[in-house]
Amino acid sequence: MGLEEKVPEGIMTSTLDSVLNWGRANSTWPLLFGLACCAMEMIATGTARHDIARYGSELFRASPRQADLMIVSGRVSNKMAPVIKRIYDQMPAPKWVIAMGICASAGGPFNNYAIIQGVDKIIPVDVYVPGCPPRPESLLYALDKLRAKQALETVGTARAVVERTAVDEIMPLGA
Amino acid sequence: MPLDVAPILRSYETQRTLNPPGIPALAPLPTGETDDTRRLCERFGEEVVAAGLHNGNQVVHVGPAQLKAIAAFLRDDPQLQYETLIDVTGLDRSRLPLNGEGVRFQTVYQFRSYARNQHLTLVVDCADGGGGDGEQPQVDSLAGVYRGAEWPEREVYDLMGIRFDGHPDPRRILMPKSWHNHPLQKQSPLGGEEVPFTFTWDDPEFETLGTQILAAESAAPDLPPGMSRENMVINMGPHHPSTHGVLRLVVELDGERVVSIDPDLGYLHSGFEKTGENKRYKDFVYYTDRMDYLSSMSNNLGYCLTVEQMLGLEIPERAQVIRVIMAEMQRIASHLFWLATHVLDVSGTGMSLLMYATRERERILDLFEMACGARLTVSYIRIGGVWQDLPDAFVGELKDFIRLMPEKISEYESMLTDAPLWQERLTEVGHVSREDALSMGLTGPMLRGSGVDWDLRRDRPYTGYEGYEFEVPTSDRGDCYGRYRVRVEELRQSVRILEQAVGNLPSGLYKSNNRKVAAPPRAELDVSMEALIHHFKLMTEGFHVSPGYLYNGIESSKGELGFFVYSDGSAKPYRLHVRGPSFNNLYAIDHISRGEMLSDVVTNIGSIDIVLGEVDR
Repeated sequence: MGLEEKVPEGIMTSTLDSVLNWGRANSTWPLLFGLACCAMEMIATGTARHDIARYGSELFRASPRQADLMIVSGRVSNKMAPVIKRIYDQMPAPKWVIAMGICASAGGPFNNYAIIQGVDKIIPVDVYVPGCPPRPESLLYALDKLRAKQALETVGTARAVVERTAVDEIMPLGA
Repeated sequence: MPLDVAPILRSYETQRTLNPPGIPALAPLPTGETDDTRRLCERFGEEVVAAGLHNGNQVVHVGPAQLKAIAAFLRDDPQLQYETLIDVTGLDRSRLPLNGEGVRFQTVYQFRSYARNQHLTLVVDCADGGGGDGEQPQVDSLAGVYRGAEWPEREVYDLMGIRFDGHPDPRRILMPKSWHNHPLQKQSPLGGEEVPFTFTWDDPEFETLGTQILAAESAAPDLPPGMSRENMVINMGPHHPSTHGVLRLVVELDGERVVSIDPDLGYLHSGFEKTGENKRYKDFVYYTDRMDYLSSMSNNLGYCLTVEQMLGLEIPERAQVIRVIMAEMQRIASHLFWLATHVLDVSGTGMSLLMYATRERERILDLFEMACGARLTVSYIRIGGVWQDLPDAFVGELKDFIRLMPEKISEYESMLTDAPLWQERLTEVGHVSREDALSMGLTGPMLRGSGVDWDLRRDRPYTGYEGYEFEVPTSDRGDCYGRYRVRVEELRQSVRILEQAVGNLPSGLYKSNNRKVAAPPRAELDVSMEALIHHFKLMTEGFHVSPGYLYNGIESSKGELGFFVYSDGSAKPYRLHVRGPSFNNLYAIDHISRGEMLSDVVTNIGSIDIVLGEVDR
C-alpha cells in the first residue's frame, strides 16, 4: 500500500489534518462556565453517572485561554452578553460553541426585555441542543455531533470554513 | 461603541378580550381588626388609611409621612416585636380603575415577628418626589431601621422607579446602569422579539449571524462607592468557578484581608416578574421551575399555595402528602448539591464529595422523572394539586431511597464533620450574630445557623406539615461550620418526614375536582362533554382570581421563598413579586466577609447557598 510498505515497521502515515482533528476531537476541553438551569445538567454530565470523561472533555477549564469549547448553558441576559462575547474572544482558536438548551439557542420561554433571543446573536454557534434543560445524554450527543464537525476542520484556517453541504450531511435540517 | 444587544421592543400585550367586563378592579380594603392593627391605629391613627385582615393576613395601609417611625415602632414596641423585614416590593397602580383617586405607586412591606409568630403587611402610598403628577414616587428608606431593606429597596428602585429617601446606596442593582427604563412600570413594554416561524439557509440574517455585533470593548474601571484606591480592588466574576453562577463581586483588599465587598447582580436577570404579569395564573407555574432551579418543586409549591389561598381552594389529602414528599426530596437534592459544591469550593480540588453527593441526587432525579418525566424543571405541582398521580413503582423506589439515605449522610459526615482541615476552613468564618441575622432579614439555614429557632414548616405550617414529627436543627455558632451542621441535620430530618409521609400516603384524588381551576383527567375528556368544555375554557382563558393581594412564604431549601400576588380580578396577575431567599441572604456577604481572608469569601458564598436564578430573577 504505497509508502507504508517502504518504511520500517511501526510507522504509519496519515494526513496532518486527520491527526490534528483526532487529537482535538478527543480532548475538547470545555470552559468552566455555567449560566442557569442547564449548567446543573452540565455538571450532572460531568459527574460519575454520565461521565463526560469518556469523550475526553472532563477537564473543565476556568480560564478561557485553556478552553476549546464554550457550552452556553442557560439564558443570556443583556447584562451578561458583553461578558460572554469577551470570554469567547479570549479563547484561542480553534474554538467551538454549543448552545445548550432552548434559551441559549433561541431565547426559550423568556421573550422579554431582559434576555437575548439566542446566543448566536453575539457569537457563532456550532451545535444547538434542544431541551429545557437538555438531559445529560443530549449534551453527550451534541459532543458527538461536534466531533463529526471537528473531523472536517483543515489546517491553515483559524476557524475552518466548513462547506455548507458538509454541514447539511452531518446535521440535516428536520432530521 | 458599547455592545448593544437590547431586544427589539414590542408594544404592551394584553388579552383583555378574554376577561369579563367590569375588570380591572381594585383590591377591597382590609376588614376587621387584630391586636397588632389596633395597636398601630392607636399610635398612628392619623396616618392609617385602612387596617385589618385581608386574605387571612394582617394588613395596615398608611400614608408616607411617618413610615420610618412606624417601622421603628413595629420593631421596638414590646407588644409588637417585628424583628425582621422580610420583603419590600412596589406596586404600579396605573392600570387599575383609580378614577383620579389614590396614588399611582405604592410600596408593600412584609414584617415578621419570630418571637410572637406574627406576620404583618404594610402598604404605603408613595409621596410625590417632585413634578406634582405622581410620576416621581418617593418614600423614606427603611435601611436605617432594618438593614435587610437595603437590597430590596434598590431592587424596587431599579425595576419600579420608586426612590427611597435617605437610602445609603441608591444605585440600580439588577439592570445595567445605563438601562433606559424601569421595566416593571406598567407603561414599560414587555420587550422581546417576534418569533420567526420560517427558517431558511438563504435568510440574509444567517450570513451575518454571530458577526453583526461589534467587539466588546473594555470599560474603564469603575470603583464602587465607599472603596478606596489606596487598597487593592479586585474583580471576581461574573465568570468565576466559585461564585455559583454569574455573580460578580468587587472585592476591596488590604493585603489579603477583605475590607469590603460590593456584589454586582443581575447577570441572570430574566424578567420573571414582568413575564408573570403577562401570563395566566396557571402558566406561570412553569416559570417558577427556572428560578431556583435546584429546588423546582419548592418553587412550584410556593406559587401554587399562594394562588390557591387567594382562590380559597381545598386541596385533597393525597395531593398534600405527595407535595410534602416532593418538597422534602427536593430539599435533600438541593442540600446535596450545596454540600458537593461547598466542599469543591473550600478544597479547590475535592471532587470526591461531588461524585458521592450527586450519586444520591441522581436517585432523587430518577424519582422525579418517574413521577413527571422531567429531572430538573419539573412543573409537577400545579394549582389544585399535582399534575399526575404517582406511578405504582414510585413508592417502592422511594422506600429504597429512604432506607439507603441515612447511611449515606453518615458517610458524608465521616469525611467532613471531624476532619481538621474542614473545621479549620469553616470554624469562625463568616460569622453572623443573632441580631444581625434578624436585622438583615436572613432566612432558612442562615437564620437557624445563628440561633433563631424558626422554621415555617413548623411555625406557620402549610400543606399539612403540622401532621409530621420533625425537629428544627439550630446552631448558636453563627459561622459557616454551624450552618454546615444545620443543613446536614436538615437532611436527616427530611428523610424522617419522607418516612412518615410515605408510610401514610392516603388514597383518593391527586388534584382538586374543582374543574374551574384544575384540568379534568385525560380519560374524562373522551366521555364527558362538560369535561371537554372545562378543559377548553381552562386552556384558553384560564381562571379568574377575585381582586385582592396576598403574600405567602414557604420554607424552601435556601430559606423563605415568598410570592406576592396582586389580582385585579382577571386571569393574569396584575403584579407578581417573588421574594427569593438567596437574594436576601446574599446581602450578608459584605458583612460577614469583612476582615477575613480572600479565600474565606469563597467559603462564605458556598455557605450562604445561593442560586443566581433566584437572586436575579
